[in-house]
Amino acid sequence: MNDTFAPSKPVRRFDALILAGIFVFLYAFALALAPAVRTHTRGFSLKLSYLLPFAGWLAGMLLLRQVVKKSLPGADPWLLPIMGMLTGWGLLTVWRLSAALGQKQLIWYLVGCLVIVLGISMRNLVATLKRYSTVWLVAGILLVTLTFFLGVHPSGGGPRLWLNLFGVYLQPSEPLKLLMIVYLSAFFADQIRPNITLMASILPTVVITALIAVLLVFQQDLGTAALFVCIYIFMLVLTTRRRRFLWIFPLVALAAGVAGYFLFDVVRVRVDTWLNPWLQPAGASYQLVQAQIAIAAGKVFGTGPGLGSPGFVPVAVSDFIFSAIAEESGLLGTSALLLLYLFLIVRGVHIALETKSTFGRYLAFGISIYFAIQTFFIVGGNLSLVPLTGITLPFLSYGGSSLLTSMISILLLLLLSAERSRQPLPAYSRRPYHYLATVLILLFIPLFTKNLIISVINQEELTSRPENLRWAVYDQYSPRGDIVTLSNTDLAITTGTPGQYERLVTYPPLSNVIGYTNGLYGQTGLERSLYPYLRGYGKPFSTYWQHELLYNQPPPGSDVRVNLNLNLQIAADELLGDQKGAIVLMNAQTGEIYALASHPSFNANTLAEEWESLMASPDAPLLNRTTQAAYPIGTLMNFFELSALWSEQSSMSAEPELPFRLDIECYRAMQAGASSLDTLHYGCESAASVLRSSLTDLQLIEMARAFGLFSAPTLALEVAPAAEDPIAAGTMEAWFAAPEKTTVSPLQMALAAATLTNEGKQPAPKLANSYQGENGNWVAFAQSTSQQKVLDSTAALRVRERLSAEKQAIWYQIGHATMADGEPLTWYIGGTTPEWTGTPLAIAIAIEGSQPALALQIGSALLNPAAQ
Amino acid sequence: MNAIILLALRILIVIILYIFLGRAIWLLWKSIGSQQAAESREVIPPLRLSSTLLGDHSAKSFTLPEVIIGRDPSCDFVLPHELVSARHGRFSFHQNQWWYEDLKSTNGSYLEDLRIEEPIVVKDGDVLFCSEVDVSISIQEKS
Repeated sequence: MNDTFAPSKPVRRFDALILAGIFVFLYAFALALAPAVRTHTRGFSLKLSYLLPFAGWLAGMLLLRQVVKKSLPGADPWLLPIMGMLTGWGLLTVWRLSAALGQKQLIWYLVGCLVIVLGISMRNLVATLKRYSTVWLVAGILLVTLTFFLGVHPSGGGPRLWLNLFGVYLQPSEPLKLLMIVYLSAFFADQIRPNITLMASILPTVVITALIAVLLVFQQDLGTAALFVCIYIFMLVLTTRRRRFLWIFPLVALAAGVAGYFLFDVVRVRVDTWLNPWLQPAGASYQLVQAQIAIAAGKVFGTGPGLGSPGFVPVAVSDFIFSAIAEESGLLGTSALLLLYLFLIVRGVHIALETKSTFGRYLAFGISIYFAIQTFFIVGGNLSLVPLTGITLPFLSYGGSSLLTSMISILLLLLLSAERSRQPLPAYSRRPYHYLATVLILLFIPLFTKNLIISVINQEELTSRPENLRWAVYDQYSPRGDIVTLSNTDLAITTGTPGQYERLVTYPPLSNVIGYTNGLYGQTGLERSLYPYLRGYGKPFSTYWQHELLYNQPPPGSDVRVNLNLNLQIAADELLGDQKGAIVLMNAQTGEIYALASHPSFNANTLAEEWESLMASPDAPLLNRTTQAAYPIGTLMNFFELSALWSEQSSMSAEPELPFRLDIECYRAMQAGASSLDTLHYGCESAASVLRSSLTDLQLIEMARAFGLFSAPTLALEVAPAAEDPIAAGTMEAWFAAPEKTTVSPLQMALAAATLTNEGKQPAPKLANSYQGENGNWVAFAQSTSQQKVLDSTAALRVRERLSAEKQAIWYQIGHATMADGEPLTWYIGGTTPEWTGTPLAIAIAIEGSQPALALQIGSALLNPAAQ
Repeated sequence: MNAIILLALRILIVIILYIFLGRAIWLLWKSIGSQQAAESREVIPPLRLSSTLLGDHSAKSFTLPEVIIGRDPSCDFVLPHELVSARHGRFSFHQNQWWYEDLKSTNGSYLEDLRIEEPIVVKDGDVLFCSEVDVSISIQEKS
């Protein structure tokens, strides 16, 4: 009837096995070459240890081929090649993830080959299985029961599903699947026609299946329990030819899911993480989230064997081997993998249809059901299509019991397929076989679809998620660009050799501005904001694309120049010393930032050692106070009140008589400033309240808004969110009653100072300057050069004159505030005046503590020599 | 250089994978085609069974590919006689012929005084004996 697979054509078997051999060889070769590619090694170099799994695999396959050719000439010619493809792929992937586990897996594979040889040499293995099917099943159940008493978990914690036999771990629930299929096949085959009621005829099998399921549920092996029930339902439909049993399948699944959800924490966690994986991406759903990202990272073509980072998924070797393969082989690879499983299932169905005995038919079909359902559940779990069940992917996942069970299934299929030609075929209705085979095949359609969705449609979205840590691996293999100053002084550089690149901040006090980059702790500061350029994404698309295709790495990053001036920075850091606080020094005209001192700081080079203490420190050393601190503005508000007053009425006489009433903080400031006795200049509260009384709330708010108090500046750094605009929020009166509580960052104050120095026009702050293009030229970042007009120039001149210092070409304003914790804060803003012929400068200083003298000293020290 | 070799290997791996699958699917396609052709040819000629035990009007026609005879009421053709086993024998249609096989019955099945040990082809007019009980077979060939 069907001679396409007739045994008399050995050429085809040879053909397929050779293809399988070439495939495994090429895969091993690719893995061996991958380390050299990753590290850009010049000469040809191979990691020869990958020859071992290939050689072992080949030896096993050659042995099997000889034995099958000799003893089972009529066997299905596709079984060995498919098994070869799958075991070879799995073995190499496990080896690639962990060589130690790979060696164990190789041994299990070879044991499996020997078991197949032994099984073939045994006469009547299938008949013996059938005759004693009940005995086998009971033995299997007893072994599972034994794990209640003697069970262990190979890695210590977790469900104790394994038996330890002299150091070899066996998971009895794996062979039990096969034993149950044998038992069911034998049971139903002997019952040619139900001669009693249907229920009575299937009752023993219901009891047995329920018993096994309950045993496994008590062992917390819920996935396997579900698998058993599913296999049973399919077997029932096959043997009783009643399709309606198939409807039990979703019903039972739903009922079990709901019951399990309320009874078992494991089920609840699995279902919750499945329904909403992004709720706890770092917690319960970490594995699932990482698996999705790994699959997405593979895209269509895959990163290439050995070039991806599938190790980010915990336990990738067993439950998540599909995601590991997906990352390195891509959609093309995983689609082929699923097709291989489908083909194996179809072969099983084919063998079932051709086998002479009813037992054989049921057994072969049962094995197909087992492969199909198990693959569906675990691949579906990896793809987040169904809740995760901790079961293995047949032939591929790490685990001796699983591999052995899968290989013994192949042994049975080989034996059954060889049997078929000896006697004329019996007749039977093929309908349930065709029907069920269609259902099994249809199960794969959602797998293909979801796989496509993840690796193509959602690819971009998933790989750009913060949970994707592959950038840390890229940094190790492809150097990040340096961060340098305009005079080409290094601030942060990459050191080391490919594969071990490390980041070095050459001027560590700048760490909370430059930031850190660390796979464990993430990225901050300039390292984060300039990441695209430092990482090479600014390079031409062809360069980028070429590196990604060849190495699965971005190209070496571009160097980036920042406007910081190291001399000024060092001066600022020295002046601020051990004081907690921040200094922002900038060019008042262009907005270029020359120094950003934030104390206390940390050392990004020793981040790993100090992480715990840095996180625990109440001083928040990781915070960049220059842009991220939200300090109350306090009596620095005087400055904005004065500006508001003069922008309303451009005559000197507009300033009201200010009472000479001192509070302690402004008294100290005045003492430190010495020369004049001006309550406004030194931030006395009395001056503030009098000034405010000549203003309306709207006037002050509009002035504050024009200076940018209610909008966060845009900069290549994380900035604190700005205070709420009282007009938008409708809280004008409340705000006007206590404007000193408005929170601002030192950067915002420096911009305000720059506005005054720059004739009332506010420049945009600029920290990043340019990046090095492909040909070595520096390409300037596109940044706004427009200046926001805040005050008209006469008003700016008036205010500046009012605040100018004696004998120095600078103006300044002192302020003080009380921070949220009740501690005092000292402010200083200032800038150069037109008498200064050099670069116009602006500065803002915030010192946590009552330090007006220090603030004055820092201000005049930095404003004076800065332009030299 | 290494990277180019690896890229070539990766492309080759994908090609090999799909050649393997292509071959497999092509052969499967062919096999399904031939199977369907074979099935479409399979028109079962009705098998008509009668027995003197049941009287003249006991004849039953079957077009199922499988017919079980025996004492048990669940059988397709029931022979209520103590020497007939519960499931005595089975007729099945394949390879364009009706076959009969004995299902290891206690007292055996006979055709022309020969005990049936393995499946045999039956033809129109044969009289089969399940132990002592006769079963007349008539097969109406359809053109």
